[in-house]
Amino acid sequence: CNEAKSEGRAELIPSIKLRHCCLLRNQRCVTAYLYDRLLRIRALRWEYGSVLPPNIRFHMCAEELQWFGQYKKSLASFMRSLGGEEGLDITQDMKPPKSLYIEVRCLKDHGEFEIDDGTVILLKKNSQHFLPRWKCEQLIRQGVLEHVVS
Amino acid sequence: MFISDIRKEFYEVVANQRVALLVSSDIDALCACKILQALFHCDQVQYTLVPVTGWQDLGTAFLEHKEQFRYFVLINCGANVDLLEMLQPDDDSIFFICDTHRPVDVVNVYNDTQIKLLIKQDDDLGVPSYDDIFRDEEDEGHDSGNESDGGSEPSGKRRRFDEGAVERRIERQRERREWEARRREILFDYEQYEYHGTSAAMMFFELAWVLTKDTKDMLWWAIIGLTDQWVHDKITHMKYVTDIATMQRHVSRHNHRNEDEENSLSIDCMRISFEYDLRLTLYQHWTLYESICNSCYTSCSFKLWTLNGQKKLQEFLADMGLPLKQVRQKFNSMDMTIKENLRDVIEEASNKYGMKDIRIQTFGVHFGFKNRFLASDMVHATAALLESTEKDESDSDNFIKALDSLSRSNLDRLHSGIELAKKKLIAIQQTVASCICTNLILSQGPFLYCYLMEGTPDVKLFSKPMALTLLCKYLLKAFVHSTRNKRCKLLPLIMAAPKDVEKGTVIVVGITPESETSDKKNFFGRAFEKASESTSSRTLHDNFDTSIIELKTEDRSKFLDALITLLS
Repeated sequence: CNEAKSEGRAELIPSIKLRHCCLLRNQRCVTAYLYDRLLRIRALRWEYGSVLPPNIRFHMCAEELQWFGQYKKSLASFMRSLGGEEGLDITQDMKPPKSLYIEVRCLKDHGEFEIDDGTVILLKKNSQHFLPRWKCEQLIRQGVLEHVVS
Repeated sequence: MFISDIRKEFYEVVANQRVALLVSSDIDALCACKILQALFHCDQVQYTLVPVTGWQDLGTAFLEHKEQFRYFVLINCGANVDLLEMLQPDDDSIFFICDTHRPVDVVNVYNDTQIKLLIKQDDDLGVPSYDDIFRDEEDEGHDSGNESDGGSEPSGKRRRFDEGAVERRIERQRERREWEARRREILFDYEQYEYHGTSAAMMFFELAWVLTKDTKDMLWWAIIGLTDQWVHDKITHMKYVTDIATMQRHVSRHNHRNEDEENSLSIDCMRISFEYDLRLTLYQHWTLYESICNSCYTSCSFKLWTLNGQKKLQEFLADMGLPLKQVRQKFNSMDMTIKENLRDVIEEASNKYGMKDIRIQTFGVHFGFKNRFLASDMVHATAALLESTEKDESDSDNFIKALDSLSRSNLDRLHSGIELAKKKLIAIQQTVASCICTNLILSQGPFLYCYLMEGTPDVKLFSKPMALTLLCKYLLKAFVHSTRNKRCKLLPLIMAAPKDVEKGTVIVVGITPESETSDKKNFFGRAFEKASESTSSRTLHDNFDTSIIELKTEDRSKFLDALITLLS
C-alpha cells in the first residue's frame, strides 16, 4: 500500500485495501471455525470420557489430538485436587440424580456388561434392567441404553 | 410347591438379590409385571426383564441368563409343564412361577426345592394327592427294580424258591399294575382340560397390599389384568364377578382414604370408580354408532350382517330417541343431554330387543380433564399394540410399546393403541360377516371348523394368537345366533389362519362351545397333541396356551381328519 503511494499509482489503493480486508475476514472465519472445533472437542471429553471412539479420532488432526490430550491431563489433575485423597470425578452425575437405581431399556444388543459386585448382565435388545445409576450413565450417553421414566 | 406366605417366602427372599423376570406376552402378564416392577423400584431390587413369547423363547432366555441369575420369576408361563425337565437348571436355581394356566403340572406342585408357585392353594385346582401319583420304593423289598423299568427279575439277587415268596411277589406286581393304571387315569383326568385361574396381576397386587405398598396405579393395573381375562374369555362369569367384588373392596378402600370435604383431590390425581357400564367396546373413544356395530354382543344380538339386522338397529336407535346425526358423532362431542342418561336409556331399550346383559360390572379411571378410560378400553388398546403387525417390529418391540402404554405418562401411546384396536375390531366384524354370509363355517361332526384363506382382507392381523382367539369367539357367537341347527349350537369351534407365508404354516386355535354357563375348560390342547402324534404332522406347540398351535399348511387335512376321529 505504501509502495503504491510512493510510486504514484494511487488508484490501486482501494483494491489493495479491499483485498486486505477480505484476507482479514477469511482469517477471522477460519479462526472462528477452529475455535468452535476446539470447544466441541472439549465437550467430547465430557461426553465420551477419556478415550475417544476411533471414528471421531479419524476426523481430528494431530494438533487437535494433542490439544485434547493436554486438556484431559489438565482436567484430571484438577479432579485429583478436589475431594481429599482420591479426587472427585466431576464428569459423573451431570444432572442431579434422583435415585440410586434407574430403570434402563436396552436399545441394541451389547453383549455382556459387568457391574460393581462382579455380576455380569446380558444386554439384549428390548430387555429392561434396574441397575445402579453410575454404571449406566456411560452406556446411556453412548445410546446403548435408554432411561425409562414411568 | 405352593407358597403360603407370599411376603416371607417370595418377596423377602428376593429382596436382596438380583432377579430375572421372564414375562409372557399377554396383558395380564404385562400388568403383573408393572406391579412387580413398581414394588422392586420401591425397594431397589435389581432385576432384568425379558419378554418371552413361547416355550422356545423361554428356553433361550433361560440359557442366556442362567449364569448370572439364581432367582427367576416367571409370569404367566411355566406352570403347566414339567419345568425342571424342560429347562434342566442347576440345583441352585429357584423359580417363582405366577401363572394363570391350569392344570399345574404335578411335578411343579410336589417339588419342594426349586419350584415355588405363587398361586393360592384353594384356587380351584384339584391336584391329585401325592400318594396317588408318586410311590416310594421302600416297601418293595428286594424284589423288582425301580418304577421306570418296572422289571420284576431281581438281577444278581438270591432267588427264593419257596411258594410263599413267589405268591407275595405276584401279589405285589398285581398291586403295582393296578396302582399304575389308576395313576394313569387320575393324571389323564387331571390334565385333560386346560383352563385359567386367578389373574397374575391380582396376585401381585395382593402382595403389594400385604406389604402396604399398594398404590392406585397398581390397583388399576390389577383391574386391567382381571378385565383382560374377561375380554379374552379366559374365566367364567362367576369368577369374574367374584374377582370384581374383591377389587371393589380395594377400590373403596383407596377412595375412602383421600376424598373428604376439606381436602378434595387435584384434578390430575387418578380416580378409580366402579362402573356398571355398557358392553359397547371403546364407545367413549369412538362414535356410538360404530361402537354398537362393532361390539360382539350387540352385533350378534341384532345380526348386523343381515339386512334385517341393520333395520332392527335403526329401529333400536329410533326407539331410544337418538338422532342419527348425534349417534354418528364422536362420543365426546355428543349432546350433553343425550349423554347424561345414555346408559339407562340404552339398557331399557335393549331389554326390549332381547339383550338382557348390555351392562357389565367394571371399573373406570379418570385423571386430568380429558382422560377417562374404562378397563376394557385399556385392554383392547394394549392388546392391539402387543400384537400389532407393522413391518419391522419384532415381538419384543411390541412388548415394550404395550408395556409403556400402561403407564399414565404415555398417553399418546395409549391413544395410538386405541386407534389400532378400532381397526382390529372393524376387521374382526367384517371377517365375521363375510364368514357367516359365505357359510365358511363347516360342521365336521364333533366340532365346527373355519379356515381363513390367504387373500382375505386383514388376514395378517389374525396371524397373532390373541387376535385370532377373539375372532374365533365372536365368530362362534355370531354363528350360534344365526344358525337354526340346534346341535351345531353346542359344538366347539376350531379356526385356522395363515401365519407365515414363507414358511408355509397356519395357526390353529380351538375354543370351547358357546354357552351361558360354560366352565371354559378347553380340551383341545391334548387333542391337538394326540392328533399331531398320530398323523406325524409337523406342528409346533410353542404357545403357552396349549390350544393354540402352528401347523404346516400341507398337513392341514390329515390333521383335521385325525382330530375328527379322535373326538367322535
